[in-house]
Amino acid sequence: MELNKKFIVGVYSDPDEVVSAVKKIQTNKIKVHEVYSPFAIHGIDEALGYKRSRLPIAAFLFGMLGTLLALTMQFWMMGIDWPMIIGGKNFASLPPFIPVTFELTVLISALGMVGVFMVASDLKPYKKVKLMDNRITDDKHVIAIDLGANNGASDEIKNLLKETGAEEVNEKNFE
Amino acid sequence: MEVVSTVRPPLVTGGKTASDVTNDICRQVEGKPSKSWLMGMAISLTALAIGLYATIVLLWEGIGVWGLNKTVGWAWDITNFVWWVGIGHAGTLISAILLLFRQKWRMSINRAAEAMTIFAVICAAMFPGFHMGRLWLGFYWALPLPNTFGSLWVNFNSPLLWDVFAISTYFIVSAVFWYIGLIPDFATIRDRAKNKISKMIYGALSFGWDGAAKTWSRYESVALILAGLATPLVLSVHTIVSFDFATSVIPGWHTTIFPPYFVAGAIFSGFAMVMTLMLVARHVMNLKDYITIYHIELMNIIIIITGSIVGVAYLTELFISWYSGVPAEQYAFLNRATGPYWWAYWTMMTCNVISPQLFWIRKIRTSIVASFILSIVVNIGMWFERFVIIVTSLHRDYLPSSWAMFYPTFYDVGEYLFSLGFFFTCFLLFAKFFPVVNMAEVKSIIKSTGSTIKTSK
Amino acid sequence: MEENIKRYWNGLEQLKNDPEYVKYADKEFPQELPVGKEDSATPSSSRRDFLKMMGFSVAAASLAACEAPVRKAIPYLNKPVNLVPGVPNYYASTYSLGGDYCSIVVKTREGRPIKIQGNKLSHFSKGGTSAQVEASVLSLYDKERITDPLLDGEKSEWEVVDAEIIKQLKTIADQNGQIRIVSHSVLSPTTQDILDKFLEKFPSSKHIVYDTDSMHGMRVANKNNFGLALIPAYNFDKAEVIISFDADFLGNWLNAVGYSRDYAKTRKINKEHRKMSRHYQYESLMSLTGSNADYRIPIKPSQQGIIIAKLYNLIASKAGQNTLNVADPGEVKFLAKAADQLWSARGKSLVVAGSNDPDVQMLVNGINAMLGNYGSTIDLSKPVNLKQGDDKAMDAFLKELAEGKIGSVIFYNANPVYNHPKGSEIADSLSKTSLSISTSGVKDETASLVKYILPDHHYLESWNDAEPVPGHLSLAQPSITPLFDTRQVQESLLTWIEEEITDYYQYLNNTWERKYFPTQQKITEFQTFWDQSLHDGVYDYDAGSISPGDFLPLDNVAQGIGRKYPASNDGLELVLYSKIGIGNGTQANNPWLQEMPDPITKTTWDNYLTVPQALARELGIGADGNQFPVATLNARGMTMKVPVLVQPGQARGTLGLALGYGRKNAGIVANNLGIDAYPLMDNSRGFWSNVILEGVNIEPLSETYRIAQTQTHHTYMGRTNVIQEAYLEEYQADPAAGRHYANIAASMDLDRKMGDGKVDGKIDAKKITLWKGHDYNNHHWGLMVDMNSCIGCSACTISCQVENNVPVVGKEEVLNRRDMHWIRIDRYYSSDAPVNDPVGMEEAAENPEITHQPMMCQHCNNAPCETVCPVVATTHSTEGLNQMTYNRCVGTRYCANNCPYKVRRFNWFKYHDNDQFSMNISMHNDLGKMVLNPDVVVRSRGVMEKCSFCVQRIQYGKLEAKLEGRRPKDGEINVACAESCPSEALVFGDLNDPESRINKMMKVKEDNGNKVIQEDRIYTVLEEIGVRPNVFYTTKIRNKDLEDKNA
Repeated sequence: MELNKKFIVGVYSDPDEVVSAVKKIQTNKIKVHEVYSPFAIHGIDEALGYKRSRLPIAAFLFGMLGTLLALTMQFWMMGIDWPMIIGGKNFASLPPFIPVTFELTVLISALGMVGVFMVASDLKPYKKVKLMDNRITDDKHVIAIDLGANNGASDEIKNLLKETGAEEVNEKNFE
Repeated sequence: MEVVSTVRPPLVTGGKTASDVTNDICRQVEGKPSKSWLMGMAISLTALAIGLYATIVLLWEGIGVWGLNKTVGWAWDITNFVWWVGIGHAGTLISAILLLFRQKWRMSINRAAEAMTIFAVICAAMFPGFHMGRLWLGFYWALPLPNTFGSLWVNFNSPLLWDVFAISTYFIVSAVFWYIGLIPDFATIRDRAKNKISKMIYGALSFGWDGAAKTWSRYESVALILAGLATPLVLSVHTIVSFDFATSVIPGWHTTIFPPYFVAGAIFSGFAMVMTLMLVARHVMNLKDYITIYHIELMNIIIIITGSIVGVAYLTELFISWYSGVPAEQYAFLNRATGPYWWAYWTMMTCNVISPQLFWIRKIRTSIVASFILSIVVNIGMWFERFVIIVTSLHRDYLPSSWAMFYPTFYDVGEYLFSLGFFFTCFLLFAKFFPVVNMAEVKSIIKSTGSTIKTSK
Repeated sequence: MEENIKRYWNGLEQLKNDPEYVKYADKEFPQELPVGKEDSATPSSSRRDFLKMMGFSVAAASLAACEAPVRKAIPYLNKPVNLVPGVPNYYASTYSLGGDYCSIVVKTREGRPIKIQGNKLSHFSKGGTSAQVEASVLSLYDKERITDPLLDGEKSEWEVVDAEIIKQLKTIADQNGQIRIVSHSVLSPTTQDILDKFLEKFPSSKHIVYDTDSMHGMRVANKNNFGLALIPAYNFDKAEVIISFDADFLGNWLNAVGYSRDYAKTRKINKEHRKMSRHYQYESLMSLTGSNADYRIPIKPSQQGIIIAKLYNLIASKAGQNTLNVADPGEVKFLAKAADQLWSARGKSLVVAGSNDPDVQMLVNGINAMLGNYGSTIDLSKPVNLKQGDDKAMDAFLKELAEGKIGSVIFYNANPVYNHPKGSEIADSLSKTSLSISTSGVKDETASLVKYILPDHHYLESWNDAEPVPGHLSLAQPSITPLFDTRQVQESLLTWIEEEITDYYQYLNNTWERKYFPTQQKITEFQTFWDQSLHDGVYDYDAGSISPGDFLPLDNVAQGIGRKYPASNDGLELVLYSKIGIGNGTQANNPWLQEMPDPITKTTWDNYLTVPQALARELGIGADGNQFPVATLNARGMTMKVPVLVQPGQARGTLGLALGYGRKNAGIVANNLGIDAYPLMDNSRGFWSNVILEGVNIEPLSETYRIAQTQTHHTYMGRTNVIQEAYLEEYQADPAAGRHYANIAASMDLDRKMGDGKVDGKIDAKKITLWKGHDYNNHHWGLMVDMNSCIGCSACTISCQVENNVPVVGKEEVLNRRDMHWIRIDRYYSSDAPVNDPVGMEEAAENPEITHQPMMCQHCNNAPCETVCPVVATTHSTEGLNQMTYNRCVGTRYCANNCPYKVRRFNWFKYHDNDQFSMNISMHNDLGKMVLNPDVVVRSRGVMEKCSFCVQRIQYGKLEAKLEGRRPKDGEINVACAESCPSEALVFGDLNDPESRINKMMKVKEDNGNKVIQEDRIYTVLEEIGVRPNVFYTTKIRNKDLEDKNA
């Protein structure tokens, strides 16, 4: 997500205050850019109106892919490409293929989903991170409000943040 | 939404605030290594060195340096393999299953437990490697590669091949799960880092984490789904390992009870090992407020339960062998208990069935010393369980003409030493340079379950 | 053999009798070969030539070794006549070593002898071989062979030594100095002829013949009884009742190979023919023969004489002849029974004794005479020429030698310094001779003391003939050009007596033309006759039968017996015996034989003192794992430290010690291995005896000694799914007697499915399966083991080892239970304990019944090993073979663990080209490697191996048949073990071929797709686990009366 230049940043300590603050701010027709916190605050995504993540679907699809891959591989290798008499058993039969199928299903599903998550959330080792406040990975929660998106009503916003219990309110510019 | 009854003892004591958590945990990472840490490192490195020598000789001379023979084709190698895999079960179990059950007390131990899992699985994977007559070919011929790599495809009927898939899947998924958990904490360290290098390193490790609410919500569902996937995985791994024996024709191996019995045993030994490590970490890293007596007690309870399951399994085995009416089967178990390896069998019985029952007594259950000793006893017992299953079944099977004894050599022991050395070296390095407690998660419960509730002004 | 006739021709020249051919007939290849043109005159170059030519095969051998680098490869520039790389040539020949004899066929590849098989055309050795015969091919490639004539240990030239020797012999003869030729029995009439010429030329010379295990006593006895100092022919196949007193006629006694086949004939039974011979064995030690007896009664050696006398009296009273007056041994088990049966089987019975005591042999003669066995089971008219040793003459020679009366002594392939009881005396007094010569091929104990060592060819490099029985000749032809600058003894002798023809081939040829060609009319052309004999290896003619005098009654035998055999002897007695593998020690340096498990004790690499259980209990000694007690043995004034092994079935108060060990100059393999027992031989009773009756005692020491055994658990724990046995009476009543059927109770549902397949409410385990399996429509190879005929001789073990390049791993590795033999023979003792007493069952009975069970890969159709291999290194062929793909194997050993028969063998170390395994000489040096079979790879370190049913032979046989556009005939394709088996206990063949022997013997019936075996005796080991082996066993039937079951 491309960050705009100017932000107003409210810093909180208590996660519950943050949730109520977000609600309050939004009722005042002010768009909250994003909330940053050291740990997941429960209820915040509802407050911000985030939809339920679609990652489970991705996981399921990748899982199916794994199952399919595993079964075709095994039946093709053992039954079609190079059949061999092993222990007098049939060349290819389902029961002995179950374990590998299961493992590949889990593996591909897990890797696929995590991959999607990384891409979706734009997480990558070489990413230059821009923080609203250095303490958000310690113990502070931050509500960031994009001035550009709220046609520069900065003072009003600052007060609003103070009211909702922000310990401090700063401006943050990304040059 | 998590409901926590207030009567429960606090999971974090000492009136910690979120920033205290950060400080306590990061101090380990940023500060100079402690004396006890260096000492532990020295010990495990010596073990590693001795083991390394044994390994080199093994690879140079051949499997013959071990005590194996034409009758007993597996002994310490596969015993160690199964033992390590078993230990490797606790970590993912704690973080995955307990997460699904919303057991918050997991939060301060799951990080270390997962690390332990990963190292244990690596140790486990060593042995199927080393025990091969031709490792230099085996390590890639065991993969389904086109015929140009050697010949033929692999044999999907072979439990040993199932192992290859099970172990590697388990390893990868656990590693991913663990790393996902680490990302926010790496970010924490990154933002506290003073010098450039560590800032850069931890920056890279943290994948540019900025703690945005959107990411957090995705992050949560990822964790949940991974937990959902890892849970059956944990159960499958040792089930498949047990197939190595269950699908064979050797009396004492050919046993349908093995899958549940092995899984229970795995959790049993896994928790014991977690206990051992936690108690050490708790002491060395001074985490008394994060790993409380309450944690220890809960883990001990799990040890009683799994231990009892294992005990029941042993008795069932005996009963079934008699009930089967198959002479070879009956003899196999009679031989276990009364044959030349009776001592191994009774060591196993004492350590695995009798000793954990002591935890019924609250005093012992909540005593750190007792827990520490018993946790080690249990893992000795679990090692012998595998030894008994493998060696005493093989050494006297169908044809009396081939009956033989197995005597370990220095190199059998050396190989084991190698894995132990490797394991503790890795774990100590982890304890020094990684956040041993999941800060983000712990912070999230400070308010609800901390000992002092911070009142909002 | 028949199919191979054309292969024996050495090309057209041979047919045309082209002089060029005759000139080079004894050379392996015609001289047109490019190699060795430069100076084929000097012998040294012919060796180099040979090596050059063999370079190819050396490369083949090293190539064969998985992933081993190719050292040198010199292809044939011009292909030698009749030599196609990859195609074996067979040469009929004769094995004669240390006085033993066997008619053989030598398999050569690219000019190298690599395998020895029995010659089926011989009616003396009857197509079988023994472990020693099988192994003897290795000694050809022994790096320690002497390569040139040696003068005082220095390399010399034949011309030089010849000149010197001729001169010296002359001078000695002129001063009428004594000349002696010392040798073992000489079977070759032509050689004898040359020896006679020698004795003629030097009148003061004598030919001294001695045997390591002398049978002089028997010759003396026959001289007294029939006026002929001979050893008669024994026809075990005609005997219904056999009683043997300490005669190991299936092991080392006379023509054991031939006897084994005859004996086995009388033991083979089936539904139609439910009769078998009865065999009583009265012996002191547990011999191989004893282990096969129906009734085996341990007796003290000191009692032997009077017990035989008692039998004599029992028979005499039946025959109405006057009995002998000898001490009564008291109650002797089953002796009366034996006597009755002998009497009722008059003319169809046989009594033999191993003793060298003339009196005992005369008693035995007397018994056989009364039973009228002469002319039926014993044939005096066809005496056996083996064991011509004359102890008296030898003793005389020793005396003269000691007194310095001997001017010159020639040791003709004899090593008395080691293998004669008085060897040390010979060693001391050899210096008193002015000319001492040994023709030994290796620097053995005797050779290392003489002035001249003039090495003889190896027998595979030699021309020779042999006449084991008058009228039955066999030829030996070289199957390879001499490797070294050696020369045949015959040639040396001819040179020294300055004959005009010194070329032994010529001489032999002429002799045959003169002596034997006229004995037949069929063939008019001598060359044709010669070639025919050469091809067959054997030639029979009418030597005119010897007519023995009538049996002269025994006078003063009774006194002799009375004097030599006390009624009772409380002291310990020592018996010196020779093992099946090492025998008299001539081949001690052969690692194959050293590592061959003794058929009874299953020990390798050692000899030891065997003691009976009772004595062990008394002394409170016993083995703990592989730690065996050590004791000091005192006998005949000698004291030696010996490891002690407790032997069930050994007579109380008797000790046993094997000969053939403790060699000093045998070679790297055998030197200082075990204890030398020869000095203990006793002649205090007027004959050389392997039994010491007086002054024997042992004191246990605190220390222990590790003996390497390949089997450490000796009873079969009452597991009827492994060993199924019954007594003849039971079998006669019910052909399925002793069978253990793997029937299991199954669910109602399955019950319904099976329908009629039920036996007493249970279902045949074979019928229950999860999958229908695969059909083997083309061939379906199978092996049948007749437990009644298997005598446990272990020839198969060695035969397999030679055929399949099985490595020798040495004592240490055997101690680690890592022996590599692909076919082993499990030896089980019976136990007195009840089946519900697992601990008691581990103890063998005091005098146990013994079962020998050959165990090799069972080639299961539902092979558990195949399922578990992660890399499909072991799979099933479409012909029912369980195949091992060495170069795919990564060595997880899972297959070996999951093998219920534990027949898989793992390469724990690199056994080839490894100085830690220098005893594995067939894979250690270039020369030794020439014995390797190029059709079989040498396995690399870290891979699994096992019996392959000699797949290389199967493939070869199929290809041969294919070239001729036909199906392979039964018998064309045979596995090495079955081929070598002297008792035909192993039968290999195609189960799909209705004409095959195996098919007929097992009465295989095709029943819509699956084969039904109708012979009730057939079972497969561990039937109930449903692995469906392709190796089948028959129930072991013992001809023992039920009332004596527990006696």
